[in-house]
Parts: sequence; structure tokens; C-alpha cells
Amino acid sequence: MAPLKSLEREYPIIDSEFQNFCASHGIFSVEDFLINDLYELAALAEQQPTLERLKEGITQVLGIIDNQHQPWLNGMDLLEDALRNKHFLSTGFEGGTEASKVMVAFINLDGNAVHYRFERLSNRDHDWTERQLVGPFVLTFGVRLDLLLQGGFRAGQLTELVGPSSSGKTQCTDEVFAETQFCLQTAANVAVKHMGRVVYLDTGNSFSPQRIAHFMELISDLHFKQAKHKILQKAMSNIVCHSVFDIFAMFDVLCQLECDLRSQMDRRDYLVQLLIVDSVSSLITPVLGGSGSQGINTWMYVTGFRKLDFVTGICHIASLLKKYMGTGRALMISAGFLLKKLAHEHNLAVVVTNHTVGGEGGASKPALGESWKSVPHVRLLVSRNRGSSSCSVSILKHPSMASGKATEFVISEF
Amino acid sequence: MEISRLPISASHRGKLISAGYTCLSSLSSVSSSDLARGAQNAWDMLHEEESLMRITTSCADLDNILGGGINCKEVTEIGGVPDTEGSFMVERALQIAEACVEDMSEYSRFLRNDIQACQVRIQPKDILENIYYFRICSYTEQIALINYLEKFISEHKDVKLVIVDSITFHFRQDFDDMALRTRVLGGISLKLMKLAKEFSLAVVLLNQVTTKYIEGSFQLTLALGDSWSHSCTNRVILYWNGNERYAYIDKSPSLRSASAPYSVTSRGIRNSAPSYKRIKMMMGPLQRNGVIFIDDYEQ
Repeated sequence: MAPLKSLEREYPIIDSEFQNFCASHGIFSVEDFLINDLYELAALAEQQPTLERLKEGITQVLGIIDNQHQPWLNGMDLLEDALRNKHFLSTGFEGGTEASKVMVAFINLDGNAVHYRFERLSNRDHDWTERQLVGPFVLTFGVRLDLLLQGGFRAGQLTELVGPSSSGKTQCTDEVFAETQFCLQTAANVAVKHMGRVVYLDTGNSFSPQRIAHFMELISDLHFKQAKHKILQKAMSNIVCHSVFDIFAMFDVLCQLECDLRSQMDRRDYLVQLLIVDSVSSLITPVLGGSGSQGINTWMYVTGFRKLDFVTGICHIASLLKKYMGTGRALMISAGFLLKKLAHEHNLAVVVTNHTVGGEGGASKPALGESWKSVPHVRLLVSRNRGSSSCSVSILKHPSMASGKATEFVISEF
Repeated sequence: MEISRLPISASHRGKLISAGYTCLSSLSSVSSSDLARGAQNAWDMLHEEESLMRITTSCADLDNILGGGINCKEVTEIGGVPDTEGSFMVERALQIAEACVEDMSEYSRFLRNDIQACQVRIQPKDILENIYYFRICSYTEQIALINYLEKFISEHKDVKLVIVDSITFHFRQDFDDMALRTRVLGGISLKLMKLAKEFSLAVVLLNQVTTKYIEGSFQLTLALGDSWSHSCTNRVILYWNGNERYAYIDKSPSLRSASAPYSVTSRGIRNSAPSYKRIKMMMGPLQRNGVIFIDDYEQ
């Protein structure tokens, strides 16, 4: 954090007298403040004539520090936050066989008993949404995509979609690029059904408004053309697309987003619900690899100098990461951290896409390596069967389900 | 914004952090920027897309599956057999330009057959004058040129199409460091995407084929690996089916996968003739260079 004198402008209580007092005990910045024994400092302050002001100054600095990070939470607070704020965003995919039985678990808030109940759930989406608002967990073994994901993408979690590439031969039934379609469909669904804002970071010029409009028309089954047009306009204005072509631009956009969300926390009508980064691997690949600084230098040679943008941001010490990993990997972990922080603090569902690379024995594995493996909460392998419009998704990693579960769904035709 | 996320050199970063500055807000006054800066919402983009130009390939079937032609603001990768590089021949370009002028006058006559036909004033040499040709001999030159392109295009605002033939040549032979190759290619593709978006032009990259061992058999695939295959917006693969040439859309965010036949004639790429009428076609040595015409002849 800043040296103490830079705080003077905003907090006049931290005047030169306070700074001199701190300097006489070796405290020049807020970090030094934290390292020192505060009781001892307060005791020393009592010996000074301007005791009150000094004590106020100490309290002020502690207050600033508290504002910079999340308050301490216990298990009950976390559970309440999870039930109240961390909704599921359904992806809107139909198809596959219907679920006949769904197991519903209700958690008593006294924390002791967990009751299970078997229920037949109707297949309409409305019933599904109602269950979410009440807040219970829903465990399923159905095969629709939302059922597979226990309701859809969860707010507060970072979901990664890994998509394999095609082999190029046209006759065989190979898997093809499906992640972008998945993202577009989910964006359309959130904008229409949940009436939420969507922020889409596009790195490959693959954001297609026509596809979004197409998906939205399928979702909102209105008969009157007038109303449909109006709803389409309102929903599409809620999807904002940023084109980012390097990782620093992405950091820019994310920092601005955080700023905006913080200042708009009370306004419910412009709540961002979904953040999509398509694809995060193309931003990270140019900076990853090489020994230490070599990775970032090669990339900077390719892209040239960028202007710095001054925005408010979080305070987080990443210099340690840089020392022990390469600069590129530090950027990657930093990006993952920022995305997860955004997800948790502002109740967003964050979806990123990745590609695959060849692994041992010809099997393909997700790109970005071992360090990235632990960053997303949920990892899904999405692929489309060539020649048909059905896609399959399987779970590579999930916090509450075994990996390997798979299901099929259908992306609607063009 | 933290210091660690800024694009500055490691030594500057170290100095800033050791001085106690880990966050940019401690260096300057705090200002919060508008979220909408540089962003567009989907509704505006939808209307903008309807007015976007597409570049025709002069083969109607191919245009149909491409949705009207090669899209501006996107990077399209075309690959297939046979591959020929370094074979841009001016005579062939002239041949195609002449054919283009003839086609245009015929087309305008077709459109305005009830009004007095206007003369198509453009000459083949005007078309050739609008083709800027760069020859690159190593991968560092390739990187340097792509960096230079931004400046070049802002000076020559009428450029609407950039063709790279081919993007793989300097990266296949004698390139030992695969990790470096992936990094450099990733950087190049991002730079080209940015050019396409910023200047509303179409970027076409040509690629070679290679074989890949998948599930017990060797299959033809485009070169440069899996990471590269995700780097472009659209992918078109050219292949032979018996005696006919076909183009297949492999990857696209807004087009469905489809295949269309085409043929190479002395006038360029055209629809393929039905087999019972097929006469001997002249194959130019550099068929792919003739696929796309550059800008401005629609004035």
C-alpha cells in the first residue's frame, strides 16, 4: 500500500504531525503499520500531548485497511451467502432424455440435519427457477445439461469450457469447435430469461450478434411480433461485448468492471450476472512459457508498447508469485485470481474457454498447463459431433460431483 | 490496477514495489472509468453487421456457404492441398484482373439493362496498382511486418484485405523451440485480429497441410498444431473429392458447416462446371492467389 503521506489528501486526520510520529518509530507506509505492534504504538502515543488525534489517526488507518479486503466470515455467514446470493444461471439447452426422478436435499439452517426427499420435478423451466429462489441444494442424476450442472452455471464460481479442435478430415465424425456457441447461447439465455447483464470479452472476433438474436428468438416464445422486437432490443442491449487482444487489455476491462460494480452495488436493475471470456487461452499463450522473463519479452516484442491506464484496483501482493514463477505464469494466476474474486464478491458466474493441446500418447489435454488446472472451480469438456447438431459435455472437474459424468444436448440449427 | 499487472519491464516493477507502491492508485489520483468505454452492446453490433461489406470470392457456390463472401472484421484461415508459396506471379494477377473487369461490365449491364449502360472505367492496371506486395524471408521479418502493418494501414486507409501466403512457411522448417513457436503465433494471431477489428478489414491466412496420428490412423490436418487452430475466426479447408475441388467450412461462429465445389479457371475461381460439360481447364500455378480481389472496384 501507499506511503502514509499519500493518504493525507483523502484523510486529513493523517497530517504531518501523525506522519512524523509514525516516522519516529520507523513507520513510513501502511505495510509498516501492519508489521508493527499496534498496542505498543498506542502506548507510545499516550506519551504525546496530541494523544486524541494520534489515536484517531491510528483508527483511521486501520479502517482503510479493513475496507480493502473482505471482512472475516464464519461458516454460517458463508452458507447464508451461498444460499441467498449464489444463484444458478441456467444455460438454456434442451434435449437429451428427460429426468424422471430428482433428488432434492433441504438443508436445515440449524446445521444439524440434512433432509433428503425424492420428488418428481416437472420438466418446465419455471418450476426449476422457483426451486432456486427458495435456496435449497439440488442434487440430480438427470441428463439434461442444466441438471448435469446442478442448475447451470453457479454465481461465485469460475467455469472453464475446454473445447477440442478438429482434425481437418471431413468425412469422419470428429469433434469440432463448440465452446463459442455454448457461450453465445448462455449469454442469450441469461439476458432473456434472467434479465441480467452479460459482459462478453471476445479475443477472436467470434461474437456473433446474429446467433445471439437467433437463440433469443428461440427462447422467448412470444407470438406478437411487436413485443418480441421490444424484448429482443432490451435483452440485446444488456449484452456488452469488449474486444480484447492482449492480456493487459483484459486486466483493464476487468478492473473497470470491478470499479463500476462497486459503485453500483445498490442498483439492482443493472446487475451484471454473467462474465464470459472467450478465450482466455489465446490471451495467455503468448505470455506463457520460456524461462522467467523470456516469455513476456518475446510477447512484448510482438505487440509493442501499451499506454497505461490509471484506474482503482484491488491491492494484492503478487510480487512473490513473480519471483518464483515466470512473469507469464504470474499473469495467468493473477488473471485467474481476479476472475474468481469478481465472481465471489459480486455474485457473477464467470465462464472462460480454453483449447486443447496434444498430450502423451496422442491424447489431448487442456491447454495452459498444470498451474492453471487448479484455478477454475468447474472444468467441462465441450465438443460437437460433426455432422449432427448434438454436442456432448463431460465433467473434468467439479467441486461437488465426480468427474466423468457426461450428457448430450442440442445446439439449435443456424 | 496492481503493479504486477502492468506492461512494464521487470526492473521498473521491482523498483516500484520496493518503494512501497503495489497499486497504481497510490501513484495517481483515483479515477473510475465508465464501463462502456470501448465496448458495444449486442443490439448495436447487430445493426452494424447488417451494413458490413463482404468480399466476394467470385464463385457463387462458395459465396453462398460463406454467407455472401469473406467477412470483414474477421480472420479467415484457408488451407488445403496443393500448397504453393512464393509464387505470386504478376502475369497471373493481370490475367485475373482483366477477367474481373470483363465480369464487372457484364454485371453492370445485367443490372441496368433498361437504362443506358454506364461504362466501367476501371482498367486492369488500376486493380494491380491497388495490390501492395511484401516479400518476407524469415520469421522475424514476418513478425516485424505484422507489427508494421498497423502503421501502414493507418496511412493507406483504403486497404480492405490482407492476405498472408502462407503463415506457416517460416514456422515449419528448422524451428526448434516449439514453445516459442506457440507464443509467437499466438501473438501474431492476436495482432491480426486487432487489425481486422480496428480497421474493418478482412484478413485471410493461408496454411499448409500435414498429417496427424489420431486414433490409429494418419489423417490430413492443417499445420501449426492445436493451439493455432483456435486462433482464427473462420476456417476453410480445401480438398479434392475425386476430380472435383471442394471447400469446406470447418469452424465459424456464425456460419454452418457446409461444403461447396469450385473450380480454377484462367479467369480465376469460378463455379465448377457440371461433369458432363467439363472441358480441359487451365490450372494456374498459384490458384489460391487468385481467389480474392482487393477492394475498391465497386465504386
